[in-house]
Amino acid sequence: MGLIQREIEKTGIATVGVSIVRQYTEKVQPPRTVFVKWPFGHPLGEPGNASQQRTVVLEALKALYAISTPGEIIDLPFRWRRHDYSTYEEPGSLVPRNSE
Amino acid sequence: MSLTSRFKNRLIAKVITRYPGLAQRFITAYEPWESGEPIPWAPPRKPLRECKLALVTTSGVHHGSQTPFDMQDSEGDPSFRAIDGATIGKDYRISHDYYDHSDAEKDLNIVFPLDRLRELQQEGVIGRLAETHYSFMGHIDGRHIATLIGTTARQVADRLRHDGVDLVLLTPA
Repeated sequence: MGLIQREIEKTGIATVGVSIVRQYTEKVQPPRTVFVKWPFGHPLGEPGNASQQRTVVLEALKALYAISTPGEIIDLPFRWRRHDYSTYEEPGSLVPRNSE
Repeated sequence: MSLTSRFKNRLIAKVITRYPGLAQRFITAYEPWESGEPIPWAPPRKPLRECKLALVTTSGVHHGSQTPFDMQDSEGDPSFRAIDGATIGKDYRISHDYYDHSDAEKDLNIVFPLDRLRELQQEGVIGRLAETHYSFMGHIDGRHIATLIGTTARQVADRLRHDGVDLVLLTPA
């Protein structure tokens, strides 16, 4: 996935990937990544758990604007189903860093 | 690839999804490709509420009418499928022997979070969503890596650019 991400970023489009295997991401070095230590086949979480899925999507979008070092991987702190996603504090409006 | 080894791949996929501890052995056995080139870098230029966003996944999802990904080739299938955002939720298949997609068949959003993105668009968090998204099968190896990097990934990148996409979220499986 990281290889595809790199090709897209090369055309001038900003990209962020969700990773479930940190070792692969470290090697392939896509521009921006959020990592979740979750089962294969579940990068956004469990079926039917919309607040969990939304949380990961928002964290990825946040990383898209926050990461300033190429290749950075942000380890998300969520512990699969043991985390209470209803308490997640959503990011405010996301804007390019230089226009803050 | 033989029927027996396809069955074996599916079985392994089920077992390591259920017991993530075992996955480490398979992760270590697979050596991802390293480019040695600098990391491409194109930071977002507009606020999220003004951006057009597309999804790219390596989960092997596609429309029922599209040709499934080739599971016979042990080095994977480097081709892609264009996904129509308006209809994929009602009509999708997943061709991928290397992970257990029974949960993704119940709720596509766990690998392809289009409903969540649509909600964010309706709330004004994201400017707009692309109509077309893209899907690969992942697990590309050997000779197909060159095809992926040199041809198919580049084709998708060009299509996204022509479509005026500002941001891409990539999801694996």
